Amino acid sequence: MHVCRGNWSKHEEVLLSGDYARLLPALERMAVDQFVLEYATPRAGDIEVVGRTLSDRQLGLGVVNPRTDVVEAVDDIVGKAEKAMAFYRPDQLYLNTDCGFSCFATRSVNVEQVAFKKLCAIVAAADQLKKRYG
Amino acid sequence: MIDQQPFLTTQVGSWPRSKTMLKTLRGYQKGAISRKDFDAVADGEIRRTVELQEKAGLDILVDGEHRRESFYAFITDKVAGTRLMSLADMLDYVEDKAEFEEMLRTMDMPASAVKNPTCIGKISRREPLALEDFRFLRTLTQKPVKITLPGPYLLTRSMWVGALTRKAYRNHKKMADDIVRVLREELMDLRDAGCDFVQFDEPVLTEIVLSEECDRRTFM
Repeated sequence: MHVCRGNWSKHEEVLLSGDYARLLPALERMAVDQFVLEYATPRAGDIEVVGRTLSDRQLGLGVVNPRTDVVEAVDDIVGKAEKAMAFYRPDQLYLNTDCGFSCFATRSVNVEQVAFKKLCAIVAAADQLKKRYG
Repeated sequence: MIDQQPFLTTQVGSWPRSKTMLKTLRGYQKGAISRKDFDAVADGEIRRTVELQEKAGLDILVDGEHRRESFYAFITDKVAGTRLMSLADMLDYVEDKAEFEEMLRTMDMPASAVKNPTCIGKISRREPLALEDFRFLRTLTQKPVKITLPGPYLLTRSMWVGALTRKAYRNHKKMADDIVRVLREELMDLRDAGCDFVQFDEPVLTEIVLSEECDRRTFM
């Protein structure tokens, strides 16, 4: 199951802000294998909040922001995954975008060229992580 | 199911739409373009999106949701008892119009882009929601694939527009029972067809706990 804080605008300040703490009681009761969660934006709070409670499931860790034009540094993505590894085994940890690149047909939040580079950054980070911990 | 491997990579679902895709979608919605022609264009866009994911080296691939108006409003193509409505259409039915318009403005909400799958009758699957999307995607890659579906909470919250929905359902809960049934049927169909990964999207859950106004209804 995927949860985020809105993906309709490139203005980060109008999107919602706050960690997952208040959702945990609901998330814990859900019979799902994986939570696909935003973590590329600081608005999502700290990984500990989810890691402490939901580490019996897989985590789809959001590592790139679909709304920005700058491609995230591979080292930063690796760092985010390493923080999550305090709570998740490598085989529980998926790396993904924070959300889609165009949830609304007429409101693409990025262009294909940038979106593609962001996917490449995710894969490059996963390759480094596999070498280190795989 | 997908074999457990370290650090699998994927994306959450939708891909930027091309001008051609958008024009074709509008034409199809207006009835000016046939389903066959619409699908031919969408198939091409999906093919390119899959190739790009292969090229990037992702492990689990998606189709980019090119056929969809939005990640949840597309269900009006598939589910009986629903109607695709613009937020402008919705203005006639919201209780406090001024407040609603103010909310759209301050949140930079794309009033023209957001279309709502309003419930106007008894809900049932006219055709599967995403089974054909899965079957097509399956022909394009050897890799595991992911299908995205709107979650039951998101749909319940957006589809209920009292003035229109009350004719079919007494309350939210009665309507939600049918939404859950539709989603469950779809999930089973996808499983039986061999889909590796189904993701339910529930972005609205954060709105309930993070928005200062709990009763605020953004219809998304």
